Amino acid sequence: MTTMMDRPASTPGHSAPKKALIERLNIFTAFGLGIIGAIVFWYLAKAILPANTDGSYIKSNRDQYVLLAMIGWLIGFMTGIGALVGPFRWLLGKDLSHEENLFYAGKDQGVKRYFRYTTDHKVVGIQYLVTTMVVFFVGGVLAMLIRTNLGHAGGGWLQPQTYNAIVGMHGIIMIVATIIMVTGPFGNFIMPIMIGARDMAFPRLNALSLWLIIAAIPCILSSIFLGGIPTGWVAYNPLASQGPPGQDGYIMFICIFALSTMVAGANITTTVIKMRAKGMTWNRTPIFIYGVVASVALALPAFPFFFLSQVLSAMDRATGSTFYDTRGGGSGWLYENLFWIMGHPEVYVILIPAVAALMEMAPVFTRRPLFSFNMAIMGIAGISGLSVLVWAHHMYTTGWAPLLNGPFMLTTELISIPTGLLFLVLIGTLWRGRLWMTMPTASIYALLWNFMIGGVTGIYLSDVPIDGALHGSMFVTAHFHYTLMGAGLTGAIASLVYWFPKMTGRMFDKTLSWIGFWFVQIGFNIAFIGMFLVGLAGQPRRVGSYAALFDRGNMITTGGAYLIMSGMLVLLYGVISSWTHGAKAPMNPWFAKTLEWSVPNPVPLENFDVLPVVTSDAYGYGKAQS
Amino acid sequence: MSDLETQKRPSVFARKDVKQTVYLWVIFTAIIGYVSATVQARSMGASASETMSTTIHMIRVFTWVVAPVAGLIAAMAATTLIAKMHFGDTPPDEADHQIRNSPRATSTWLIVSSLLCLFAVVWGTIVLQRDNAAILDPAAMNVNVTGQQWVWNFDYVDNGTVRSADLYLPVNKPVVFHVTSKDVIHSFWIVQMGIKIDANPGYVTETSVTPNKIGIFDIRCAELCGLYHAFMQTKVHVVSQADYAAWIKSQGGQA
Amino acid sequence: MSVETHGHVNPHHEHPDVVGSRNRLGLILLLVADIAFALGVIFVYFYLKGQNVNDMWLPKASDTQDATVPVSSMGAWYVTIIAAVGLLFHQYALAGVKVKNQTQLVLGSGLAFVASLAALIYQGILMNNVSFTITMGAYASCYYLIAGLNVVHLFLTSFISLGNWNRSRLGLYVSDHWHVRIVSVWWIWMTISSLLGAFALSFT
Repeated sequence: MTTMMDRPASTPGHSAPKKALIERLNIFTAFGLGIIGAIVFWYLAKAILPANTDGSYIKSNRDQYVLLAMIGWLIGFMTGIGALVGPFRWLLGKDLSHEENLFYAGKDQGVKRYFRYTTDHKVVGIQYLVTTMVVFFVGGVLAMLIRTNLGHAGGGWLQPQTYNAIVGMHGIIMIVATIIMVTGPFGNFIMPIMIGARDMAFPRLNALSLWLIIAAIPCILSSIFLGGIPTGWVAYNPLASQGPPGQDGYIMFICIFALSTMVAGANITTTVIKMRAKGMTWNRTPIFIYGVVASVALALPAFPFFFLSQVLSAMDRATGSTFYDTRGGGSGWLYENLFWIMGHPEVYVILIPAVAALMEMAPVFTRRPLFSFNMAIMGIAGISGLSVLVWAHHMYTTGWAPLLNGPFMLTTELISIPTGLLFLVLIGTLWRGRLWMTMPTASIYALLWNFMIGGVTGIYLSDVPIDGALHGSMFVTAHFHYTLMGAGLTGAIASLVYWFPKMTGRMFDKTLSWIGFWFVQIGFNIAFIGMFLVGLAGQPRRVGSYAALFDRGNMITTGGAYLIMSGMLVLLYGVISSWTHGAKAPMNPWFAKTLEWSVPNPVPLENFDVLPVVTSDAYGYGKAQS
Repeated sequence: MSDLETQKRPSVFARKDVKQTVYLWVIFTAIIGYVSATVQARSMGASASETMSTTIHMIRVFTWVVAPVAGLIAAMAATTLIAKMHFGDTPPDEADHQIRNSPRATSTWLIVSSLLCLFAVVWGTIVLQRDNAAILDPAAMNVNVTGQQWVWNFDYVDNGTVRSADLYLPVNKPVVFHVTSKDVIHSFWIVQMGIKIDANPGYVTETSVTPNKIGIFDIRCAELCGLYHAFMQTKVHVVSQADYAAWIKSQGGQA
Repeated sequence: MSVETHGHVNPHHEHPDVVGSRNRLGLILLLVADIAFALGVIFVYFYLKGQNVNDMWLPKASDTQDATVPVSSMGAWYVTIIAAVGLLFHQYALAGVKVKNQTQLVLGSGLAFVASLAALIYQGILMNNVSFTITMGAYASCYYLIAGLNVVHLFLTSFISLGNWNRSRLGLYVSDHWHVRIVSVWWIWMTISSLLGAFALSFT
């Protein structure tokens, strides 16, 4: 709570000795102290905690050691990176001086600032971008392992234990990657410039949210060596309480990640509400800003439930409490409720900013105003509002409350109305525009196609009797890949190409972007239409081998997956080669009207020499009709 | 009033792109509706119960109801793609208008999507009520289903102490399953009958179905339940009433 | 979007009221998350109580142990009362800083810190002296969960009120006092959350 007390540094500086400390902290001291913290906590736990003899059902010393070691890691890491400097300086009444704040902002530090607790939102944006790509890479490798294993019936070369572990890891890693893929890089780098601000409202919280994620990643990766997460990404209890210590990695990952989204959510929302440029009234605020705020603000009340569900899991495993153990009066339905109260808003946390980003691009590439700005806002607001009331549609077939299936079917299907508005806005903007065909433009069409399929199959699944047949089958897997990947990731990649010139100062290679686009989109549709078919035919989710009748569909899916992989590798190569020696980008390569294109490349430390004053919205394209 | 308007400016439908879109709309709707309804129904295969037949029918109807919407968006998208496209590093000319809104289009859109949503909810609720009512059917036979890692066991509580690992059911007789689990959460799924309910430790959940076809069908676990989840499957044998009675006897129960 | 040049605004000398209101909003948004968490905890308590799976809500008698009656919720209420007293001290400090009474500010925030520490220690003593262990059923688990939430909240409160007292002592709040007002928002929520926990524990 105290880190946000970011005083304007008007107090006289007492900096000389302290400054030396903050200059010495970086990613290496963080990892060093983190590892030391983990080792110390491990041995302390071993020395102090009594052996488990009280006969509780599931408690184990192993889980106690692993969880405590990870807490030790977190404390060590955050100390090592310098996250605690701010709170303790506040406690001591020695606020950061102006020079120290500038140092934290990364002034004159070149590349080094990317490896420090840097508060400049542009540095954080780039750090988020690289982190997201690394996480996607890991998740993608796991996806390819899954699809290779499922290439043909009975051909599974992975042991069931390994296969289950990989499925869980792929799931949760990709979920986290998609949650941060738009609001992380673009919400941090672009959003403050877009609203005409010099930085975020709480720059140190911004760095905190990023470094929490970095601290969380080793927790999930350590799961690989601790038995994996053989429970799917949902980690339902009581199955999860049977799981190996890898499950503790999952728990810590989620807890730290939830903290990160919490501080990011408060920070971004405050920034947008309080720091928009003069004259940027709500109806002059770009639609992308609405998307980002809806996403992070939705996460604020939602993710604590995820956090809580994992705290209870950890308590069950480490202290022998019985929240989820029916033998001790617990309930698996409790977990499912807590999980999905977060779980459904979360898919819109992923989707909304990606769609909003494409809405932001649509007028630029059709050279006409955004169609029905008000409907776009109503769509985003409607989805956000309804999304907290629909969680139990994941639980139609659990039997926890059959009488509530009807009401939840109603709320779920109501979401199709605001979702339809997003389609209306996009197609309305494409209509009668002057199409400027770029990779982001094509992504708008791809999103319409993929999101239509994802949305319609969602309506099937929202229907209770149909869900009775399709729940838990590959049909569901294909459905949410269509929404999260077909719509969400498509929007994120388009955003990368669109904002690449501002973030790196270079243009994204056009040819590579097109090759990547076509491989990914064609491969994606092949892969997941194949998956729809095996799902309809009755193949369950998360199985490592299957009956011969699903053979053909799975082979198609695996083939499509390899196409996606090729496309992703092309895009990755495109990012690296364009970043290192792409063509220098002009200040405003897309001739767009939002504020981020009005600042030079590279963007100066405080973005604007003179803060802009806004007199109209950003969609004044097109010639006035006589 | 409308006459006056039409005199002032030519009807919207006279415009070339609108005409094109309308034609494409009709074509796309037909293609999307037919192809996806047929492919989906075919993939779902033969049904072994009224519940499953209803489900397949619902998917078919939903697909046809949604087809015009998907067709419209596809047609509009296609029309914009057919028009002159501009590649290159600098933008094309600005569009020749500054239309920011169309109250008529948005209100039509809202009304139509609300009606479609209403249709889906109402119909879904009707079918749901029918399925729920079946659980209360006093004439139904009862089977207790117990999941454990990684097998199913079936207790024919109406017939003494008969227990089996393959499920046997008489045709055309409603049956209510009382489902529970010994360890973790499983999900009891009779694929061709289109019913599914989780098996939760500590709770008993219920679902019901009336098999209407003699044959052997699949039971799979639909909730990840650990190491051999993929292999937690068994068969349901739907047999005639007489065969069922004979089978119960052979297992030592009373029919 | 039009951009006009305008008078230069130095970002490092924003008006304290602007910074204060920004920080206040930030804290309230963080509290949204914390409130959701606390409500989740209350939901867990009442859900498990309502379900009473296997009749294991309250600890059962076993061979080695008598049936345990749930502890009285009075302890939890005492924690809330101490927290509320701390809140009053903090309000006293806030009233002091508003009228620029430095003595009142230092005294009030110092006493608030003492109260938060007392509540923290008392909560710890309570947890050590209950007649059941965490493994003895859903009620026992929930009791520790609520107590644990109190401990985390009180620990944060102690840290914040220590800092607040220290900064008061150093005279940092002479020119602007939005810190004290924000800390009071936190105190209010912390007290309410403790009250929610005590309220839940009153239903066994």
